[in-house]
Amino acid sequence: MARLNDSAQWIILMGFLVSFAIFFLAVVINQSTVVGQTTAESVIEFPKSDIRDIRAVALETAGIADEEDRRIVVGDITSIAQQRTHAIVSLHFVPAADSRMQVTIHYNNGVTEYDEVWISP
Amino acid sequence: MVGEGAQLYTIEGVAAAMIMLLTAYFVVNATAVYTAGDTHINDMQLEILGKDVLDMMDTRPNGTVEKSPLRLIIEEDRGDDFRTAFVTMANNRTVADADRINFAAQYFYNNTGTIGSHPLSSSRDLTGGEHAVRATKWVIVNMDLDGNGIKNRAVLVEVVLWRD
Repeated sequence: MARLNDSAQWIILMGFLVSFAIFFLAVVINQSTVVGQTTAESVIEFPKSDIRDIRAVALETAGIADEEDRRIVVGDITSIAQQRTHAIVSLHFVPAADSRMQVTIHYNNGVTEYDEVWISP
Repeated sequence: MVGEGAQLYTIEGVAAAMIMLLTAYFVVNATAVYTAGDTHINDMQLEILGKDVLDMMDTRPNGTVEKSPLRLIIEEDRGDDFRTAFVTMANNRTVADADRINFAAQYFYNNTGTIGSHPLSSSRDLTGGEHAVRATKWVIVNMDLDGNGIKNRAVLVEVVLWRD
């Protein structure tokens, strides 16, 4: 009777081991449902189409010869972009050397900012 | 006295079985995990499709300096032509049966500081229950939008499209 019976310690130890393993696997399964959430959000937030669209129309506007006509078109783009796509857009056209046109594009929708200087060929 | 030497083996066996079952479960599931965040992929595909259709409609015939079909549709207010072109291009597939994409289109213009909208056409009335996405396209047109004569103006074509 004096000898300490310690054979149950193994059982308890293994019990701990198994329960930790199951707990860990449960955490993995739990995380799998939110995997991709952050990626998806950042993908949706990035206004790729809007920026390409603004860029295309800016380059097309550069082809308008009359400065007053261009000013009206830029005014249209700025105000419609603000109201319909919630983005601040500014376009500047400066004549460059060799009858080229330098276009400065600025786009900001509060999350993404885009700036570009384009010179017509 | 009850012998308890086998308990350790039993627990070990149960643990091993659970790990093997979970492994098999993960392997089988690995290719088909569709999480809540994945729904955006369908939306983005639909949005890009709509954008591509608008890009195609705004392409000048044979790269000439003529006006693009989309520009002519807006300038001459031919909503029926827009519907025909959009429905055909959006729903054409390489397989025999057509897709089920519907749309509602309008364009926005600047009327001396106020943004006005003009409906182009729609394939079905919007009820509000659709899971719709938006595709837009800037078009420079030559028309009278604010009563100050025919001028070059920029308008924003906005198409709301959904699949039923």
